[in-house]
Amino acid sequence: MTSIVLAGVGGQGIITLGKILGEAAILEGKKALMTEIHGMAQRGGRISVDLRIGDYESAIIPNGSADAILGFELMETARNTFKLKSSGVIVANRRMIHPMPLIMKVQEYPEKESEEIISRFKHYYLNADEVAISVGEKRSLNMVMLGALYGVGILDVSEESLRQAIMASFSNTKVGEINVKAFEAGIATVNEEKIL
Amino acid sequence: MKASELLEKSERVHFLLGNEAVVRGLYEAGVSVTATYPGTPSSEIGDLLYDVHNDLGIYFEYSVNEKVAFEVAASASSLGKRAFVFMKHVGLNVAMDSFVSLGISGVKGGFIILSADDPSLYSSQNEQDNRYLGKFAKYIVMEPSNPQELKDFVVQGFDISEATGQPVLIRSVTRVSHMRSVVRYGKVRERESTISKPDRRNTVLLPENSFRLQPLVFERLRKVVEQGFSRSFINIEGQGQDLIITSGSAYNSIKEALEMLGINATVMKIGISYPLDAEYIFSQIKNYKRIILIEEGGPFIEEQINSIIASKGLKKEIYGKISGDVPHNYEMNVDRVKGILAKIYGIPDKSTLINIDLPSRPPEFCPGCPHRASYYAAKIALRQKGWKDYISPTDIGCYTLGYYDPYGFGDMLLSMGSSIGTSNGYSIFYGKKVITFIGDSTFFHAGIPPIINAVHNNHPMIVVILDNSTTAMTGGQPTPENMGIKVKIEDVLRSIGIRNIHRTDPYDLKGTVETFKKAMDEEGVSVIISERECALEADRKKSKDELKIFQVNQDKCKLCYNCVRNFTCAAFYIKDKKVYIDPELCDGCSVCSEPLVCPFGAIEVVK
Repeated sequence: MTSIVLAGVGGQGIITLGKILGEAAILEGKKALMTEIHGMAQRGGRISVDLRIGDYESAIIPNGSADAILGFELMETARNTFKLKSSGVIVANRRMIHPMPLIMKVQEYPEKESEEIISRFKHYYLNADEVAISVGEKRSLNMVMLGALYGVGILDVSEESLRQAIMASFSNTKVGEINVKAFEAGIATVNEEKIL
Repeated sequence: MKASELLEKSERVHFLLGNEAVVRGLYEAGVSVTATYPGTPSSEIGDLLYDVHNDLGIYFEYSVNEKVAFEVAASASSLGKRAFVFMKHVGLNVAMDSFVSLGISGVKGGFIILSADDPSLYSSQNEQDNRYLGKFAKYIVMEPSNPQELKDFVVQGFDISEATGQPVLIRSVTRVSHMRSVVRYGKVRERESTISKPDRRNTVLLPENSFRLQPLVFERLRKVVEQGFSRSFINIEGQGQDLIITSGSAYNSIKEALEMLGINATVMKIGISYPLDAEYIFSQIKNYKRIILIEEGGPFIEEQINSIIASKGLKKEIYGKISGDVPHNYEMNVDRVKGILAKIYGIPDKSTLINIDLPSRPPEFCPGCPHRASYYAAKIALRQKGWKDYISPTDIGCYTLGYYDPYGFGDMLLSMGSSIGTSNGYSIFYGKKVITFIGDSTFFHAGIPPIINAVHNNHPMIVVILDNSTTAMTGGQPTPENMGIKVKIEDVLRSIGIRNIHRTDPYDLKGTVETFKKAMDEEGVSVIISERECALEADRKKSKDELKIFQVNQDKCKLCYNCVRNFTCAAFYIKDKKVYIDPELCDGCSVCSEPLVCPFGAIEVVK
């Protein structure tokens, strides 16, 4: 039984990641539930996905009970920590996407404040966008994140099932292979201790 | 999702979104005709049907609005075909007139309308509970809890509709339509291949016919109970001293909340919430002293249970929305249900929510969005003409976000098309100083009758049609202008007799400002068609070489901050008081490099 919050901003591939992770769990005969919260905006708005693997009925994760947060954007990662249990783990991408109210008022991004909130929990940082670019496809950022999540060892799903679910979700085999490469690069960030 | 995955005959499991499961249900049920107008949270049903309907052998159309979509499906049913229409909850208000009539006519081919309600208002103007509209119009109301049930209820709903002759309303909510979970496929039925003409005595609602039909409506509804359908959709789980009655999405939170509190209770889950089988429910509830009702929306089941209890002369302790123990608003989740139960049981609810104080991230226009440029130009034109006292009704679409700072447009919004409708009234007091905004898809949906009214009753106004040639907010569905036999907005306007029609490209800020100023000097109804494709749609078509990126040349930047304060593109950001453009977000639209945004020419193309 694992509950994971995926948090970020519209356009980062978060829903696709949730789908692939759920598919991988189903390949192993497990139950998976997922729900997404996003507002009116097509791009730039907050997105969070609650994903639960195991015998659950509520797709929404109760506050303070998630096992992990996979954070695609720094402030959104910090914002969702109310969902995390005290022994939970955060895997956080260093990416900062500035929200409109700050831009308009000529104010800076709350980097320190976000880091302080994240530091209250066990956490790992990575630069997933850079890793994705190094693999040759910046849109594979979500698979880098999936790899890092797998790498920190909280997923009860095998690497092989994840690989299979990634390949199955892309109709173009070549695109699938690039995404598997990104997934592997994500795992490597943990093994090589590139995760800070 | 691929058509081949939906067409599978095997009963294997898939990880499906509720809205995708609906489409599989339609295929299994042998449905013939489907129609919709896009609306969140039901849009993905249409997105998928649009892609796969030919493979599934199902007729599908994006109708111009929900009422027409409803009528497309209702007519198919009168020919003996299974028909399905779906929409967001407020879409049913648009379809209401025909919706009520069909409850009186009854149906021949099975008929289901799916309403996707939006408790907590994630993307809507209200959280109306359409189960009440179902009961009002005498529809059979079904409430699925998860994607598997969404699929199964679609299949079973058609059977029940045909067995009773009454239409079915499936009431989904955001958390069911947008939940993804394991769905097991069922058998695929044969599609009805014959057509039989409508029974005119039922389908033409002349007073004479309706007079005869009124009592038949109740006879058909009685069948739902008499044939055991209502009862067969009740599941009773667990065992405890008290009874919790629930339905739909609210059901999903009960078990986990009970576990967390360490309480045992019997849970009754109701799948058909209208009409209820009063005798069966009475037999099941009579031995419980305490009854707790937890449902999503209004006290819909609660009111009916109360009336069963009262009619039997029973005395019960009832905890629900009417007693004030369960809140009327917003969606249920485990935390809320736990809090409600803890209070009823007098157990301390130890959970404390940690307070995280971070800046908000409200929805915003995408980088490159043409609406931002239209609003920016409109503001400049108003300033240059010295118009301070103007009024600007707005409408439903991405452009509603122009309400927020720094644009600040929008003085009234009631429903689809209300921008022009309310402008008719505002013009009585404001004359030509009514500047109203509406999108292309919304104009076709409900903007045409009120603009005819404006011409006919001589209400002066400036109607700005923000034409991005798509239904952007719900994910980019086609409009009458760009799919099938194309209908042009300008042709419609000319046929009404509007002479002052201007076209402008909002990316050309200077030209757009001049267009606004020209329209402001004209008499009567003026229309500005501000025309530029949705940036997301345009970006999808661009090759990598075509993508441009802009940057701020810090040597030229005078730190006036006009770009961030007034144009306010989402790709800008501030660091050490300087303005930068995030290259990952920049869409390359170039509008911020125009002198009307940056008079110092500091925003330059880099590739």
